[in-house]
Amino acid sequence: MIEVHNIIKKFGRKQVLKGVNFTAKKGEITCLIGINGVGKTTIMNAIMALTPINKGSIQIDGKAIKKDTFDRITFIPDAITVLPHMTIEESMQFMRDYYKSWNDQRALELLSFFKLNPDEKIASLSKGNTAKVNLLLGLALDVDYVLMDEPFSGIDMFSREQIANVFTSHLIEDRGVIITTHEINDIEHLIDKVILLDDGVVIKQFNTEEMREVEGKSVVDVMREVYQS
Amino acid sequence: MKVNFNNRDPVYVQVVRYFKQQIATNMLEPGQEIPSRRELASELKINPNTVQRAYKEMEEAGLIYTERNLPSKITKDEKMLHSVREELIIEAVDSFVASVHSIQVPFEEVVAILKEKYEEVSDENKRGESND
Repeated sequence: MIEVHNIIKKFGRKQVLKGVNFTAKKGEITCLIGINGVGKTTIMNAIMALTPINKGSIQIDGKAIKKDTFDRITFIPDAITVLPHMTIEESMQFMRDYYKSWNDQRALELLSFFKLNPDEKIASLSKGNTAKVNLLLGLALDVDYVLMDEPFSGIDMFSREQIANVFTSHLIEDRGVIITTHEINDIEHLIDKVILLDDGVVIKQFNTEEMREVEGKSVVDVMREVYQS
Repeated sequence: MKVNFNNRDPVYVQVVRYFKQQIATNMLEPGQEIPSRRELASELKINPNTVQRAYKEMEEAGLIYTERNLPSKITKDEKMLHSVREELIIEAVDSFVASVHSIQVPFEEVVAILKEKYEEVSDENKRGESND
């Protein structure tokens, strides 16, 4: 389980995170939702220790983040970070050399799952295929938790469908996933838990099936209530 | 398999209802194997945890059964299969009655229209068959 306790983050004088609390379980898909600038990416960066937090704590399976934590967790940013002149094959090679948790077999499976040509250069890929390579490079690591920042943003419907299919495949297995997205319709029936953020705090968190069962509300219903009231 | 999910009922409940419909219409036969949890999740584009919950409910209700590590199967219990059909019919009639009642149509009028419509549908089905 990833536990985020009361984290506070300031950029200069501006307090972006004002005491954020939530948990995300292994084997579940947890979705962080909020308008742009609400601090979703900052939260992910904080979990990955890419940005120092001013207060609060983050624990992964009961332990504070340390160097070896990064063998168990991966962050897939919203833009690809490998060099554009590399081919897909070369970028995979790069990851293989760099990360000891790299799983060759899973990488190949993802390659065929997304129907990508390994000889193609990153620079010449469509937006949708770039997003798929980006996911491939992150998901091919043997880790317990995967953080995904906006995997659906700016790509066509069919690519989004293909990406959503990853969540039900064995390629995710029983890993814990934290995802941020604005395209809630693409994954409404896939997510276990929703964390709604506003103005630097969590304003509501709920289990999606429980919400449907107890209150008869969809994720979008709850979002309307919370953000438009 | 194709299910049109609504966003407000629990997805697992909708999955169970779907299976009941398939059983009642004999699309799924007694003793027939059903897809694994992962397969169904992938096919219906829903969370594998949700399928797990639906299967658990169906197992507890005796709708499906699992022997050791084999795939789960539809029950062969005649009584159970019969009650699934009954339940679906009652459910459909209940919602029909509720919506007709709310527009305050007299019972005799409803029955007359119902009879007429029923014959229309059966005729259409017959014509459809003879065209094949």
